[in-house]
Amino acid sequence: MFEYTFQWRVVWKHWPQLLEAGLLTLQLTILSIIIGLVIASVLAVFRDSSNPFAKYLSVTWVALARNTPALLQIYMAYFGLGAFGIHLSPYTAVLGAVAFNNAGYLAEILRGGFSTVPASQKFAARGLGLTATQSYIYITLPQVLQAVFLPIVNQVIWAMLATSLGMIIGLQELTGMTTFLQSQTFRPFEFYFVAACMYLVIAKIATMLAQIVAAHMFKGGADK
Amino acid sequence: MTYTFTTNDFLLMVQGAGITFLLTIIAGVIGTFMGFLVGWARTTKNAVFYYSLGAYVDIIRSIPLIIQFVLFNSFMAIAGYPMDPFISGIITLSIYISGYVAEVVKAGIESVPDVTRKAARGLGMTYYQDFFYVVVPIGMRTVFPSWTGLMLGLMKDTSLIAVLGATPPELLRSSQIIINRIQEPLMILLGAGAFYFIMCYVITHFAGRYEKIWQQKRQAAL
Amino acid sequence: MIEIQEVHKSFGSLKVLKGIDLTVEKGEVVCLIGASGSGKSTLLLCINALESINSGKIIVDGIDVHAPQTNQDQLRRKLGIIFQQFNAFPHLTAQQNVALAPRKVLKTPTKYAQALAQEHLAKVGLGDKLDRYPAQLSGGQQQRLAIARALAMEPDYLLLDEVTSALDPELVGEVLDTLRMLAEDGMTMIAVTHEIPFAREVADRVAFFHQGVIHEIGPAKELINNPQQQRTKEFLGNIL
Ligand SMILES: Nc1ncnc2c1ncn2[C@@H]1O[C@H](COP(=O)(O)OP(=O)(O)OP(=O)(O)O)[C@@H](O)[C@H]1O
Ligand SMILES: [Mg+2]
Repeated sequence: MFEYTFQWRVVWKHWPQLLEAGLLTLQLTILSIIIGLVIASVLAVFRDSSNPFAKYLSVTWVALARNTPALLQIYMAYFGLGAFGIHLSPYTAVLGAVAFNNAGYLAEILRGGFSTVPASQKFAARGLGLTATQSYIYITLPQVLQAVFLPIVNQVIWAMLATSLGMIIGLQELTGMTTFLQSQTFRPFEFYFVAACMYLVIAKIATMLAQIVAAHMFKGGADK
Repeated sequence: MTYTFTTNDFLLMVQGAGITFLLTIIAGVIGTFMGFLVGWARTTKNAVFYYSLGAYVDIIRSIPLIIQFVLFNSFMAIAGYPMDPFISGIITLSIYISGYVAEVVKAGIESVPDVTRKAARGLGMTYYQDFFYVVVPIGMRTVFPSWTGLMLGLMKDTSLIAVLGATPPELLRSSQIIINRIQEPLMILLGAGAFYFIMCYVITHFAGRYEKIWQQKRQAAL
Repeated sequence: MIEIQEVHKSFGSLKVLKGIDLTVEKGEVVCLIGASGSGKSTLLLCINALESINSGKIIVDGIDVHAPQTNQDQLRRKLGIIFQQFNAFPHLTAQQNVALAPRKVLKTPTKYAQALAQEHLAKVGLGDKLDRYPAQLSGGQQQRLAIARALAMEPDYLLLDEVTSALDPELVGEVLDTLRMLAEDGMTMIAVTHEIPFAREVADRVAFFHQGVIHEIGPAKELINNPQQQRTKEFLGNIL
């Protein structure tokens, strides 16, 4: 075994392309999370709405996003929407599908976050004379934020991993670019290894940043 | 010339769903077993286990599954042991899910209060008796919903082994084969989505039932 | 002065308060005792407008609490309320917990609010715990924090709902001592409690709640040592 000699120089030669693709992955991740969060907030509110249409929309969205593979969602955006005359670019299809998926998961995270703040906290705040709005801003929201922070960070990592599916429909994000370059150079192991390291580094940096932010923002720790 | 969706196509999708289910069960069982060992080893006070297995978990959870597939495949090839993509797919899926199971198992074990464990040891139980009769039953029940979620995720992720060209095709790959022939992506994808949805629903339903039974037993015991 | 007149309150079809009449003078301490579910907590919440009432009137210093034109947020500043569960705000330090309401409600400048918080925390014996978060405080300390938090709003009345029942026995004393001190300072208080010896010592009057009405009320020592009604005797007999 192992008559293979690793060749890393060829990877180095294509480093700028890899870096650029890595940035595209980062961009897709961040955008899909932002869009996902906005939609998720709406879905979370709709979930408890008295309007049956809003409620139904929210329930359906969350169920579809969570119970079908992300790859199927990307196929749907890229191939399926064609039936309605909608033809998305690979970039838009991946962004749309991952944001759709994020929204479903984030909506549940947000709902969970609100349910961790006991009603008695609001009573205590109102009992001190805070108005409903003040109680929401100073008491409820900070606690919700603390509860949802880590789950959201996990979702960010998940979104980053999901954007790699773009490769399958020809998007040259990090995985797609890697696939392209290795097919040109016949050095799959080296290229995928470097790409794997890049994902690892992005994920590590993201979690470390998150930990620093959390350590500064959430000093109270969980209520017992 | 137009192609239509035939009974054979439907059977191909049913077969694909069966493969998806099979892959989930095989990788789920192996991955849960591995993950259990890793998760448990990380709760022992052994620093070597803690950090090395921590890195294992971290790496698995930070790299896209597709890359893990192709890396594993090409590594085996250059090591002189080329593998059938279906087999290497199962191996990669098992390793992949074990990283997530490990974290859930660790959380489950840590959720059992120290006083409970001390009480068990105080009754004269050994470490392993305490672990298997007290910690595992209590802790694993706590994280059972998370574990179910992981298995659902695994089922959806099996769709990725198609990238390696594994045969027989699982559900999504079967759907793609049909799409390529009859050029009706929307309908076929909706159909595939329905299959996934039903399978997820069935798993969620049974998991929920199982949990209810637990709860009833517990209430009956009180 | 708090005047409660013929107050009725139901949750759905469940009648919880069935005509409560009670007047509490300035500087008076009234303890409410009675079985679980008799409506004591509900009455406190109604006085503070955290619950609405179905009929009757509650008048605090001449203001009708439940009248539509009443600004209830403003009214609550007069009425501090403390609960059985301490309800400390877990994301804020002890000092921030106390300073929040003065800052946001009374618009006290932060610096003064912080000084105020220090003063009140010192008063309840937490002067050295300013920067602790609730999770780092014992139950008794958290409850004293809740008292300091209410006091910082300089309320004219304190409503206390079983403030010691969630505490370990050895921590009850420190909280009762704090309340005793407040009573001596002349704070007007309505306190739901199961601490009969405390009620006998500190309260001016004790009211016995039974099934949504005040079944018996009188001077603390008289009512506790020599109850007139059969139900009151039974209740006190069970609890003592
Ligand atoms: N928000 C609510 N909705 C419906 N029912 C309620 C609500 N709050 C209280 N109740 C009911 O009203 C009744 C009186 O409750 P309350 O809490 O006032 O009793 P209590 O005298 O304070 O009892 P305890 O000593 O247990 O605190 C109970 O039967 C309770 O179940
Ligand atoms: Mg009560």
